[in-house]
Amino acid sequence: MDWHKVWVVTRHEFLTNVRRAGFIIMTAIVPALGILTLLFGAFFAGQARQLGALLKKQFDVSDTPIGVVDQSGYFSPILPQYQKNFVPYNSEAEAEAALKAEQVSQVLLIGQDYLETGRVVVVSMGSGFGAAVVSDSGTVRAFFIDHLLAGRVDPALRERAANPANVEPRVLSSGGKTQGEGGWGFAFTFIIPYFLSIFLVTTIFISSGYLLQSVAEEKENRVIEIVVSSVRPMELMAGKVAGLGALGLVQVLVWVASAVGFSGGAVALLAVAGAATIPARVLILGVVYYLLGYTLYAILMAGIGVLGTTMRESQQLAGIFSFFAAIPYMISGFLFTNPNMLIARILTFFPLTAPTMMMMRLPLAEVGWVDVVGSIVVLLLSIPAALWAGAKLFRVGLLVYGKRPTLKEIWLILKKS
Amino acid sequence: MIIQVQDLVKRYGDVVAVDHLSFEVERGEIFGLLGPNGAGKTTTIRVAMDILDPDDGSVTILGQPPGQAKGFVGYLPEERGLYRNLKVLDTLVYLAELKGMPRATARERVLSLLERIQLEDWAARKVRDLSRGMQQRLQFVASLVHDPQVIFLDEPFQGLDPVNVERIKDFIAGLRREGKTIVLSTHQMSLVEALCDRIVLINRGRAVLYGPLAEIKQDYAPNAVRVRASHVPADLPGVVGVEPDDGAFNLALAEGANPQEVLRALLERGVELRAFEVAPVPLEDIFVAVVSGEEAQGDGLA
Repeated sequence: MDWHKVWVVTRHEFLTNVRRAGFIIMTAIVPALGILTLLFGAFFAGQARQLGALLKKQFDVSDTPIGVVDQSGYFSPILPQYQKNFVPYNSEAEAEAALKAEQVSQVLLIGQDYLETGRVVVVSMGSGFGAAVVSDSGTVRAFFIDHLLAGRVDPALRERAANPANVEPRVLSSGGKTQGEGGWGFAFTFIIPYFLSIFLVTTIFISSGYLLQSVAEEKENRVIEIVVSSVRPMELMAGKVAGLGALGLVQVLVWVASAVGFSGGAVALLAVAGAATIPARVLILGVVYYLLGYTLYAILMAGIGVLGTTMRESQQLAGIFSFFAAIPYMISGFLFTNPNMLIARILTFFPLTAPTMMMMRLPLAEVGWVDVVGSIVVLLLSIPAALWAGAKLFRVGLLVYGKRPTLKEIWLILKKS
Repeated sequence: MIIQVQDLVKRYGDVVAVDHLSFEVERGEIFGLLGPNGAGKTTTIRVAMDILDPDDGSVTILGQPPGQAKGFVGYLPEERGLYRNLKVLDTLVYLAELKGMPRATARERVLSLLERIQLEDWAARKVRDLSRGMQQRLQFVASLVHDPQVIFLDEPFQGLDPVNVERIKDFIAGLRREGKTIVLSTHQMSLVEALCDRIVLINRGRAVLYGPLAEIKQDYAPNAVRVRASHVPADLPGVVGVEPDDGAFNLALAEGANPQEVLRALLERGVELRAFEVAPVPLEDIFVAVVSGEEAQGDGLA
């Protein structure tokens, strides 16, 4: 390995890509949004309240009252605290007319057999979405509970039935230590590191995306054969991985710095406070997975980038790998409830999902050492394998113009080498 | 000996692209690497460029394996292009640096080369702003930017207009005067005849003709003379056929007949001669004859 040549490639990749319009626009987008927000705030300070109300109206059902046609008798008259949001109607026809006139957002038809069946018909205009909103709405639930229990039970009991639990999270680690007590503690211990890890994972894909682009462009421009007659594919790849990794990092730093600047240091304080509360283990392992993940993906992207005959084709090929990386995101909803579930553990040992999976799991729960060591070993073994295969693919790809090598051809060449 | 190709074998799956190929290139010569499409020329060059590994045999350049000679070798590939969005100067400096040339030296050399191909005013412009002809000249100097001792040119005239063909041809001749060794692969036989000292003709991965161009042409010269005159008598001794050709006559000679005797007979009979020459054989004819002969043989065997 000629390190001077690696450095020449690194510097070239960084300097040429940092001047690219695409990079500048992407990097400037966060500060630009910040400036826009500030300008918007300055110009529309007066109207902001109105605008906020308008937006709220678009997304919130509770501001437009709900019509009620009660035949069961439990909901007449409507209790004073609900009179603002619920309007009684004597007949279905009357209520529907009000719905058409947009005086109410939905109409609840409560039949005589309500107590036995619990059946409530929700009439809404346009789509059935309203029914779903109503059944999930806390206000609507409280409306039913309050009316059913009013005067029948103690007011405190009624209040508890309507709002049974004010959840305050407290998590015990296996060592018996208490983590994340109270709302903010929970945010610092779990939410912030979790989003930080998603943020880092995103930068992995930004940087490896640049790599794909850079290689595919050299292939499309047909300059690649001249380049590999001067440097070894390994040297070229190493230079690109370093140069474009640095580029991705610059982008992230600009984003973070601008976020800090525009929020008047609040984000910085939050980040510092957040970082201070993130357990050292999560922080250190996060960096380790970040580096391993970027290296693995960057190498794969370089190998794939050269296989396509055009940029578009290369991007399509790379999509297969991006899909794997996205799997942990797809199950992130379940991860919150059980970060150590079986599927998450399986994905931890699969090289393409290991970095993303672990970076998402680490802040959420105490991940066993078996998973940590196992996934790092898997990644450490996969990187040289990817480098070997990547360099081979690179050689195959660069010699094929006008036609993408078939999977069979790729397999034959890998097998042969 | 600058380049030595020894018993080189390269296979792609079941296809043998280069089949026990051997040849040598001497210092300071222009060496023609010829052959029909798919003969194995580009594969041979790619092995010499360390882009492909040989399956068997070896290539040495300046006594070193290709991987260690990269800095001394220039390469103009058949499939070529440049960074379209980079500036002309930056592109060439980067390519020189990749070959191991220090940045400052590379800059100086690039500027002088750009002057030589009359593109010095374009140094700060992007490659994509250049016309096609200019880009082709630029690609050509990109292979020389690090001042290599050996230069491989794979189809350097492909897609060039006649004016640029002349320019590149003069440039190649100039490189020979500077003592560079050039391996030239092209299908344009007239340019091979004008430029090359020695050639190897490859077919199906094997060398079928190898040696100095003049000797090869002599070996393949037909037994004929070409005469420019008002008329040619029918009963000349040793002449078995007379064929008019574009204001001249091609005289086919009997086996063992001497062109000198034909000339003497023509003068003795008072034929007014404007020109008399032993009929030359175009390299193209030798190429076609050898390759199609090989193919017929191959088909016969199959």
